[in-house]
Amino acid sequence: MAQVTLRDVKKVYDGKVVAVRDVNLTIGDGEFLVLVGPSGCGKSTTLRMIAGLEAITEGTISIGDRVVNDVHPKDRDIAMVFQNYALYPHMSVEKNMAFGLQLRRLPREEIKRRVTETAGLLGIGELLNRRPKQLSGGQRQRVALGRAIVRDASVFLFDEPLSNLDAKLRVTTRTEIKKLHKRLRTTTVYVTHDQEEAMTLGDRIVVMSAGRGVGVIEQVDTPLNVYRYPKNRFVGAFLGRTPMNFFDGRLVEAEGEVWFVAGPEDAPSIRLAMLPKHTEALRGRVGAEVTLGLRPSSLSEHPMGKETAAHSTIRSQVQVVEPLGKNIDVSCELLDGSPMLARIDARHDFPTSGEVKFYVDMEHVHLFEPGEFGASLLHPEGAPQNETATLASDA
Amino acid sequence: MSDRSPIESATGPLAKLARPLTFVALVLLGISFVVPFVWQVLISLSDRSEVDRLTETGFPSRISLDAYVRVFDQVPFAKYFFNSFFVAGWVTLLQVITCSMAAYAFSRIQWPGRDKVFLLYLGTLMVPGVVLMVPNFVVILGLGMFDDYTGLIIPAAFSAYGTFLLRQFMLTIPSSLDEAAAIDGAGHWRIFTQVILPLARPGLIVLAIFAFLFNYNSFFWPLILTQSENLRVLPVGLLQFNTTYGSDVPAIMAAALMAMIPPIMLFLLLQKYLVKGIQLGAVKG
Amino acid sequence: MIGSGRKRLLIALAFLLPNLIGFLLFTAGPVVFSLYMSLTDWQLTKHNQYSTESVKFIGFENYARLLWGDESHLFWDYFYNTVFLMIAIPVSIAGSLLLAVWINSKATPQKPKSKMKWGMIGLACSVAACLGAWVLASPSAAQDVMSTRSGMTDLTEYQVQAMQRNGLVLFVGIVGAVITAGLFVGQMFFRAAFYLPTLLAGVAMFLLWKTLYRPRGGLINSVLDPILGGIERVVVNTPAVIWYGTGILLALATLAFIGRSMMAGLSRYKAKETGGFALFGRAFILATVGISALGMSLVLVQLPEKSLLPSGYESFDQATILAIGDELKGVEGVDAAEVDLIVNALGEGASRADTLSALLSDPVLAQNRASVLEAVDQRSERVRRGLTAGHETERGGLQPPDWLLSSRWAKPALVMMGIWLAIGGGNMLLYLAGLSNIPQSLYEAAAIDGATGWQRFINVTWPQLAPTTFFIVIMSTIGGLQGGFEQALVMTEGKADTIVLTYYLYNLAFTDDFQLGLASAVAWVMFAMIFAMTAFNFRFGSRLTNE
Repeated sequence: MAQVTLRDVKKVYDGKVVAVRDVNLTIGDGEFLVLVGPSGCGKSTTLRMIAGLEAITEGTISIGDRVVNDVHPKDRDIAMVFQNYALYPHMSVEKNMAFGLQLRRLPREEIKRRVTETAGLLGIGELLNRRPKQLSGGQRQRVALGRAIVRDASVFLFDEPLSNLDAKLRVTTRTEIKKLHKRLRTTTVYVTHDQEEAMTLGDRIVVMSAGRGVGVIEQVDTPLNVYRYPKNRFVGAFLGRTPMNFFDGRLVEAEGEVWFVAGPEDAPSIRLAMLPKHTEALRGRVGAEVTLGLRPSSLSEHPMGKETAAHSTIRSQVQVVEPLGKNIDVSCELLDGSPMLARIDARHDFPTSGEVKFYVDMEHVHLFEPGEFGASLLHPEGAPQNETATLASDA
Repeated sequence: MSDRSPIESATGPLAKLARPLTFVALVLLGISFVVPFVWQVLISLSDRSEVDRLTETGFPSRISLDAYVRVFDQVPFAKYFFNSFFVAGWVTLLQVITCSMAAYAFSRIQWPGRDKVFLLYLGTLMVPGVVLMVPNFVVILGLGMFDDYTGLIIPAAFSAYGTFLLRQFMLTIPSSLDEAAAIDGAGHWRIFTQVILPLARPGLIVLAIFAFLFNYNSFFWPLILTQSENLRVLPVGLLQFNTTYGSDVPAIMAAALMAMIPPIMLFLLLQKYLVKGIQLGAVKG
Repeated sequence: MIGSGRKRLLIALAFLLPNLIGFLLFTAGPVVFSLYMSLTDWQLTKHNQYSTESVKFIGFENYARLLWGDESHLFWDYFYNTVFLMIAIPVSIAGSLLLAVWINSKATPQKPKSKMKWGMIGLACSVAACLGAWVLASPSAAQDVMSTRSGMTDLTEYQVQAMQRNGLVLFVGIVGAVITAGLFVGQMFFRAAFYLPTLLAGVAMFLLWKTLYRPRGGLINSVLDPILGGIERVVVNTPAVIWYGTGILLALATLAFIGRSMMAGLSRYKAKETGGFALFGRAFILATVGISALGMSLVLVQLPEKSLLPSGYESFDQATILAIGDELKGVEGVDAAEVDLIVNALGEGASRADTLSALLSDPVLAQNRASVLEAVDQRSERVRRGLTAGHETERGGLQPPDWLLSSRWAKPALVMMGIWLAIGGGNMLLYLAGLSNIPQSLYEAAAIDGATGWQRFINVTWPQLAPTTFFIVIMSTIGGLQGGFEQALVMTEGKADTIVLTYYLYNLAFTDDFQLGLASAVAWVMFAMIFAMTAFNFRFGSRLTNE
């Protein structure tokens, strides 16, 4: 068991292409940390640097108390699960799992014991004599997991291990990985491009982006905190099952409150009053261009709290209604033609056209500076201190 | 397979005949490819005096294996066989070893200058073999390998083509396998022997077939590099036999036939690898 | 990547070393060395450990000698021979493509019913032929007679017929076996059968072909002979006007077809419709067919004149006449002196009729009319078949050529063999692979668009195979320019004008004077030619593949 620390890590390919920089992370002992981001954000590179498969250009990586920059992968006490599983095609399942142990010169009985035990744990005991080619995708995935677990390493590294599985299997395997981690409590670094996987698996998640040409970390926190308090527009847009709605507009002061207004002055498409607790913080920005972020689930047909029609409603024309079971997705158009998606409780008689008025849950709106990476105006530092503390305690 | 879809069905009267006609053409061609060999067998089974009239009779009056006996009586044919197998076998073994190791260095290790050295290898593939004939002869003379087994084996034990072929093959093996092995605790030698080589087996077999067939049939180098009778390989021995006993057509045909048997066996056993290999070699010219 | 750059370099070098040493010593080094040698007067008989003379650097003198100096006539002759043999390349490539398309076309009967049908046809053929052979060889009046056929005097006619029967049965057996194998093994069988020659290409194969090409007693001429005889009979018995007429009609018909195709192609081209190109292609093919038909008919028209019938057809040279005399002297009761007298009176080139009338004018010989007739007829038959006369010019009519013995036919013989060797080889396998990589949907789309078989070939198959063809053409040209050495050495020993450039290099470097410098220059001139051809192929060919 060990803690993994990355200090100012930077990776440059061929002396010119900067893949990632300024990576500072501490992965606690037994923690499950997920690196998530779109392709090209450097999450795999970071993982491969921890594994020792890529050289570290600058900075240090330590596992436990040891700086491992120049340590061969085999001596880092890590185990890794690859995206394509990387099972040795010419070896049986048993041999695949035993290979690393044999190379470490463990006694034969010990190897046998561990392989059998791990196979039992993963329910692949029957498959031990098969070749990888004879296995289904899910079975191969388990074998790959087994090969990592059997090694009893102090750090597990996962490189998109679920992306080759079909959607249904992905969900069940995800749950299984979580159960396994709960049981084994091994420090784990997990890379994925799927935000849902990240949210469900990670004790903490690391959102990375490549938006400015270089892979950097945008935010590190517990899944819920990142979801609730995205530090910038990129993080807000990246997390969440349905994409966040964004509206460009400006802040206006009237009636002692700060309003977000989008569209022409005389007929604004959106006019929302910000909560009084934010007024102080926003007053300095009045007149500035800002972007409003609204999750589809923050919209509803009925007031959810103390919202009033005048302060927190958006009028729109319904375009398409998509029933999803518990919810329905309503795609609509605002006065100025900009699109908006709302996810509301399902009901049969929801109109499929015409004008509808939505209430906005003002507790959960976001305001960003303009631009793709515009910083959050309401919580630029992420989650408030007290909330982080409470969530961290139950982790 | 019993029914053809409408798209495949014939449209005109001529088109309707196309398939049977094609089959007839294939059969006729097949016959023309088989007949010379059958003819060869017939001659080799005939008496010397009957060769000239075999075209009129189409069959020997008496089947005899005398011609085969004469081959072994008149020349050390068994020795030629041994030499051919000995040389081709060693060359094959050494080529597989040196080429697979080089291919590993070119395909699985990142090292400064790798692509430049590989380009050099590729470049010499473009150089026609005739350019190498004279200087190689001088080099081999200089190394004292003239008229010696080593002169036939050592220069052929390295092949830029084989390196290229195996590199192409190894590139198709996912790199995550080496990485997994490295994390499992394997060094380069172990990754090479326990992961890459077993996976490159089809490629190794292809190279081995090519190397063996090529060197088994090789004629030019043994011709200029050997003088002694006891170093003669089959092709050179056959030529000498023909020069000396050219009028004994049945014996010549018998000897030629015996020399053809090993490649045929090899082909029948390993046909699918050979076909694959030819296609692999052409993937990137 | 794992480890530092330096460490990786060392590991890589360790893996590379065995190969690299050999590579530098026997490939890369010699290339440089060879270039240097070509600029020197290095000659092993002059410069060796027993002589003090040192190798002189002579610049481009070797090249000058080859290209326009004292060696140039040899060099260019051999270059011509090399290029002549390369005729086999385009033909065999086209053949490879055709074979691949055929093999790939599912021509092998697939339905059980048609399999049965073909099996029955094969079986019926075999049975009929066996019966025929049996009847042919059934005891006849001739059975006890010693065979009168040339060269079979030790066998009875019955034995000869039995041998022929065996031969026929064997041949029918081969036909049956090929049909059966084609039916039940299908693609795999044809692929293997066609690949056989390439697999075995080498001295052994060349020896086999040398046997096949024997002017007399060789399989090829024994097949050609009756065919040519048949053609000759037809031609000789047909008035010339028919040949002229047919030739002119064919030419006119071809012209009409070409004209029509051109017009149609042109109008399509003008209308910017597709398919104009295919029509032009068809016109081109028709033109080729028509012109060769015209040429053939013109050649055929010449034949009756060239044929030595009726007068010269059986004219004898002096040696033959003497041989006839010798034969007659063996007949009982014939006076040798008398025969000599008559024979000596006959001049060179006497016809069969002259000879017969002279011999039969003698009363004693006239009594042995049968013997005289036999002696003369047998000789005239042998003359016709060229058994006594050495060269083809003295033979009459359409005769199969002497192939490897004749300067005129040796190269065509090598070309034909080259085609046979290469047609089913690696190129065919590459085409087969290329064909199997063409997505079926392309053909389906073309079929729905209404393309016929030929149009599908032109618009789908051919363009899709362009990269394969490109690769094959480049590799074949490179190989072709260097090829021809083994064939020539084994089959003609360089006689009959078959020396190619590689053979020349071999002669220069490894026989005679061991002129290593000059030989290296030959190699580099060849390299330059190969390079130029490859560059040309790339320029011209890559444009084709990009289309």
